[in-house]
Amino acid sequence: MPVSQLADVGDNNEECKTFVFEQEGHTLGNALRCIISNYKDVEFCGYTVPHPSEDKMHFRIQMCKGGTAIDALKRGLKDLILVCEHTEKQFDEEFLSFSAKNGLNL
Amino acid sequence: MSEGGKESKTPMVYICGECHNENEIRPRDPIRCRECGYRIMYKKRTKRLIVFDAR
Amino acid sequence: MSNKEPGLISLEYKNVRAGKELDTTWTYKKFQENFRVVIVRCENYEMEFDLIGIHPFLANAFRRIMISDVPTMAIEKVHIYNNTSVMQDEILAHRLGLVPLKADPGLFEFKESETSEATAQDTLQFELKMKCSKNKENKDSSRHDDIYKNHHVLSKHIKWMPIGNQAELHKEENIRPIHDDISLLKMRPGHEIDLQMFAVKGTGRDHAKFSPVATAFYRLLPDIKLTRTVEGEQAERLQKCFSPGVIALRKSEGKCVAVVNDSRYDMCSRNVFKHDDLKDSVVMGRIEDHFIFTIESVGNLKSHQIFKEAINILKKKCKTLLDEIDISN
Repeated sequence: MPVSQLADVGDNNEECKTFVFEQEGHTLGNALRCIISNYKDVEFCGYTVPHPSEDKMHFRIQMCKGGTAIDALKRGLKDLILVCEHTEKQFDEEFLSFSAKNGLNL
Repeated sequence: MSEGGKESKTPMVYICGECHNENEIRPRDPIRCRECGYRIMYKKRTKRLIVFDAR
Repeated sequence: MSNKEPGLISLEYKNVRAGKELDTTWTYKKFQENFRVVIVRCENYEMEFDLIGIHPFLANAFRRIMISDVPTMAIEKVHIYNNTSVMQDEILAHRLGLVPLKADPGLFEFKESETSEATAQDTLQFELKMKCSKNKENKDSSRHDDIYKNHHVLSKHIKWMPIGNQAELHKEENIRPIHDDISLLKMRPGHEIDLQMFAVKGTGRDHAKFSPVATAFYRLLPDIKLTRTVEGEQAERLQKCFSPGVIALRKSEGKCVAVVNDSRYDMCSRNVFKHDDLKDSVVMGRIEDHFIFTIESVGNLKSHQIFKEAINILKKKCKTLLDEIDISN
């Protein structure tokens, strides 16, 4: 399963980090990037798939003064989980009412 | 595989290209189907299992 | 359906953002307030639903996961004992791999590694054994069905061979090809095939045969507005510029007037712009946060299951990553 590691970036700065996600790509990369770059304390957030034949994704976060990159990443993942849960809940509710209305027995 | 003289006596099975009949043919026998007289014969496929990836 | 202003407007050559910008900032709170799901059509294996108030990155993530990350079972290895047909072994094996299987992927595990021993939990075994022969009864006919026996190999001839206790766990009608009439191979008298197939669980990112969907796509809700009354011959011409049902003709005071009936199924062809006298009469736009999803299932899973599965896979991805981060710190 996917492993996240820290890539080598010169100085040991907690504000700016590049994470390496193995076995991930644009699916998670873009979703997470969109969420994290909307945080007020994030200065820059971007992702890249360095090479299409290598199954990994680089994820860069740069924080404003005082923040830590790992904290933003964790928040992003947690928000994405919330989004999934909310989407599932809404979909289930709509699906129940739709099948009741149309007499579907699925 | 090589069993010298023994091997030459054992008949080999060939399949007729016309009627698919299985013919036993020995060395120096005429190459000809016993059923229909057709002269193009094929060897049988190996009985060994071959594994393929379905992709 | 929509009372919102369109987010994008198509002019003759380019798309222009409408006066109000799409709110590109994203917070979970805003998403929670605005997000809505509307199911429009739901047959077992095909469904259409709207996700409203969602951002493209989420719509795209769900679409990508449905195509390449939702697992199904498919034939992976073919053991060929005999094949005297005209089709080469590797071509036949490839064809067999593409046959969609009706087997609930939730009941099976991923194989640990490609070389690990097949078990009842991760592998399904099938057999295909056929020999073509002449049919002596119907010599006069020229129809292949009459003069040959077993000359057409179809997916229904694939037979399930339970491994271990699989016969008790699964019903035979649930473990078989979804379609009975997929043509696999044609044979002539004397041709014979004898092979065994092994199906495993996999995902579409590995090979398209594992993808549970024929297509899963989304499009934005079109919004079409008429800016002036169009009547008579012009109205008929205008109607023809759009997909059927989009523009309706109403009789008013003895004249035929064009009105927008339902812009949902318009294909946004821009044909109006060919007509110089009509192009100023219509504004074509799209609602930027109204996504119309269509999911066509191959048949292993029902469409709504595929979407739910996609949500859960994204959630699980995030959870395992969070755990990994916590462990490494």
